[in-house]
Amino acid sequence: MNVTHDLSFLSLITNASVLVQMVLLILLLASGLSWYFIFGKLFAIRDAVREADKFEDEFWSGADLNSLYQRVSSGRTQIVGMEKIFEAGFREFLKLKRQGRMDISAVMEGTRRAMRAACQRELDALEQHLAFLASVGSVSPYIGLFGTVWGIMNAFRSLSNVVQATLAHVAPGIAEALIATAMGLFAAIPAVLAYNHFSHDVDRLATRFDSFMEEFSNILQRQANT
Amino acid sequence: MPPTDRKEPGRKWAAVLAVLVHLIFVAVLVFGVSWQTREAGPVMAELWPSLPAPAQKAAPKREPEPRPEPKPEPKPAPKPEPKPEPKVEQPKPPKVDIELKAKEKEKKLKEEQQKKVEAEKQKQAELKRQEQEKLKQERLVQEQQREAMRQQQDLAQAVARQQASARQREVDGYRRKISDKVKRFINNQPCQPLNNPVVEFDVTLMPTGQLLMEPRLRKSSGNALCDQAIEKAILLAQPLPLPPAESGLFGAFRELHLELRPND
Repeated sequence: MNVTHDLSFLSLITNASVLVQMVLLILLLASGLSWYFIFGKLFAIRDAVREADKFEDEFWSGADLNSLYQRVSSGRTQIVGMEKIFEAGFREFLKLKRQGRMDISAVMEGTRRAMRAACQRELDALEQHLAFLASVGSVSPYIGLFGTVWGIMNAFRSLSNVVQATLAHVAPGIAEALIATAMGLFAAIPAVLAYNHFSHDVDRLATRFDSFMEEFSNILQRQANT
Repeated sequence: MPPTDRKEPGRKWAAVLAVLVHLIFVAVLVFGVSWQTREAGPVMAELWPSLPAPAQKAAPKREPEPRPEPKPEPKPAPKPEPKPEPKVEQPKPPKVDIELKAKEKEKKLKEEQQKKVEAEKQKQAELKRQEQEKLKQERLVQEQQREAMRQQQDLAQAVARQQASARQREVDGYRRKISDKVKRFINNQPCQPLNNPVVEFDVTLMPTGQLLMEPRLRKSSGNALCDQAIEKAILLAQPLPLPPAESGLFGAFRELHLELRPND
């Protein structure tokens, strides 16, 4: 009389229909990748902010620009972030200045363009994979919902040849289907949170880069005039 | 300046942490959610009106009782009887003449013979008494055994009676459940004008509670519409509530006679 179903988590997944299993697999992959990117971005942005802090300290401590440039460009480690912008701008400035007989405004234009390009490249590197987090955050609930709807459809279809429908007939199907929604939400929630957090961080870094570029061009302009 | 391949810092750590997060998620799903709901099965309790407890205690007590009983009986019985006899004979010798030795001898012989005879009698009497006592004891033991047997039988009968009554009670309970369920489905509008009708149906049930065939009308209410409403109600009430298969009570429900009072 009392029907007991074995509702262990693994048996629910193995007994699910192929489509639901596919949905779960896709969601698991998406979730895994998004978590990988979340942690990767977390470290990358933390490093970029730390580098920027360090470089700004060094830059505003009143060191000689030439010696700073020498140290940066001859460094063994790969230069990123604000150092890169400084290096690109100062190199362009030196090149243009060496050519001589150039208008100061033209020199400054060229320097700014070089710095702008370096800045775009840096920001692009920082924003890499953020789009993936955004799409996981917005799409994976729908994928999970799709799996759930499919599972519930199957659960109800299997009821069609039962005269007396009890909750015990539908319960396993619905539980199995709801796992897909849970999985989708598990993938989506951290992805959305991380996307918002990281895009905010990248925006702040972009503002810092912009203001640094402006201030650095002012310093270069003053130097060119002398 | 060409865009260089940049090293993402901490890739390994990112991968390890991502895997860790998923392991935690799976662990929470597997161990955190109790996926199995175990229903507590129906428990059958039998109420005893304190019958078996004293009987079981009394049975072992009565066995030691026969031992103290036979001991006091044989001791007092032989002692008083042999003593008075020699006392009666002792006063006799002073009366006998010294001259008549032959007589004395004869008397002595007679006495001896008498004594012997009496001793034999006594012995025989004692033997008889002992035999009787043995018989008595045996009878007592037998009676006690018989009594114990009777008590055991009584106990078994009581248990059987109680079990039977428990079964009967359960069967009655399920019968009531069945008629209650059927009653829920009765549209008693056609039965309303009748004066307290009783409709009787015979149904044949499958172990699932479904009907094996159409219900057979045994006693009509006098109104075909009312009978039809009840028949429909029986069909709608499927599956009828039956005791669980393990209880072995289904035999009482295979052929079921339903008495329905739609106006109650």
